[in-house]
Amino acid sequence: MKRLTLPASREAIRELSAGDMVLLDGEITITAGLPTIQRLAECANGTRELPRALEGAALFHLGSYSQETASGGLEILYMNPTTSTRFSPLMPGLIRHFSLCMVGGKGGLDAACAAAMAEVGCVYLSFLGGGAELHTSAIREVVSVHWSDLVAHYRLVTLRVEGLGPLTVGIDAHGKSLYADLHDAAARRMPEILAGLAADRGD
Amino acid sequence: MPITYAMMKQATADLYSWSLRKVPDDTKAALARARDTESNPVAQRTLDIMLKSAIAAETSDRFVCSDSGVPVYSIALGTRITMDGDIKQAVVDGFAELVETIRPPLLKHVTNPLTNERGYHGKDMPLITWDVIGGADYVDITCQPKALGSGRWAALEIFSFPSLARIEEYVMECVLKAGSQHCPPVVIGVGIGGTFDHCAKLAKLATMRPMGSRNPEPVVAAMEERLLRATNLTGFGPMGTGGDTTALAVHVEYASGHGFTPVAVAFNCWINRRTRARLYDDGRVERVE
Repeated sequence: MKRLTLPASREAIRELSAGDMVLLDGEITITAGLPTIQRLAECANGTRELPRALEGAALFHLGSYSQETASGGLEILYMNPTTSTRFSPLMPGLIRHFSLCMVGGKGGLDAACAAAMAEVGCVYLSFLGGGAELHTSAIREVVSVHWSDLVAHYRLVTLRVEGLGPLTVGIDAHGKSLYADLHDAAARRMPEILAGLAADRGD
Repeated sequence: MPITYAMMKQATADLYSWSLRKVPDDTKAALARARDTESNPVAQRTLDIMLKSAIAAETSDRFVCSDSGVPVYSIALGTRITMDGDIKQAVVDGFAELVETIRPPLLKHVTNPLTNERGYHGKDMPLITWDVIGGADYVDITCQPKALGSGRWAALEIFSFPSLARIEEYVMECVLKAGSQHCPPVVIGVGIGGTFDHCAKLAKLATMRPMGSRNPEPVVAAMEERLLRATNLTGFGPMGTGGDTTALAVHVEYASGHGFTPVAVAFNCWINRRTRARLYDDGRVERVE
């Protein structure tokens, strides 16, 4: 198990291989909203003001419930990943523009994202879906909450975490994607799997 | 003593709240068995974390997943019950009250499909399937919240006089298409036959069966066993990052129909949210799971 402190160096990112498991310390920025990713794309093309700097950031597809505390601060009641694949069309632009060092969520991203990640030195981390209690317990501080006009899980939230994970490197910075490899392997194996079903049926 | 509006309202709200905080016991046991037989080190670790997460949520009485889905109920009315009040409205009112009082609060997941606006309320919400149980003196209620993660990958196709080979091939096409996306290891429910709507309902009911239970008909039970083996040969594994455990169970239900044969495939993610209670005509409330 590797442990990385954010912001991570490109050298440390490129040392990670698909299938490695990691723990994270430091600042992460999260959202589960497609409207939010669309706003970030507008920031990248200069048509919207970016609410906080994201250069070299770790941007994860995690939804959270944020609320104000009685003393006027902010707290996160829980957080958990959402499916990343629906963000695939917009992620290559964000990965390149912000030189993101990490992206993540669950389910992976497509080949165009993997290519952008290899260019800038960025990895995709797989979070446990259904891991709300474990992920939330790693939060040490709510750094900021932006775009509060959106529903809670769509907001752009920056947190300081300690020991977040274990998270699995699903796509590494060298273009290797567990998701693509596993899908291709399963597709190749399918004729053999169907032949096995036929044999079991006694066809 | 009849089944009252108040009983239905309380029970359906409780079932939803409970379902968010506990992975069913049969599912935790299946995950533990999978951990014992899994050969992939990353998958072993992932299954360990799943069990740890399930226990953490249960112990702290907090949500397993931040996505509480939308409330989905399967309600079967015994023919020997009596009713007092609008028990259908009770389910709607129970959910409305719950979203105001539940702790921690829910995120807004009820989505208007025409605008993609999200809130706590919406047309036809909660989603309820009604059925009848001949001779029973109780109402049987199962709550199975459904979210995008696994709900997105359900599929249905209609064939003409398909062979078992074609039906099983279609199930495997759905397994391949869902791939790493649905928070595996999943429970797969397969419906075969009937009509478009009946078949989809069968697939949903199949996902609700006790984990790994076998269909009483040997031909169908054999299909369940070989489809489970075939699914786990795909290699997607826990959370879709590789391994031997892509599904924990495959359950198949069928109905007779005409020559057009729908085949529906539904998935439940690894937390397999499911709670169930029976409300008896004598006022008793029995939590089944």
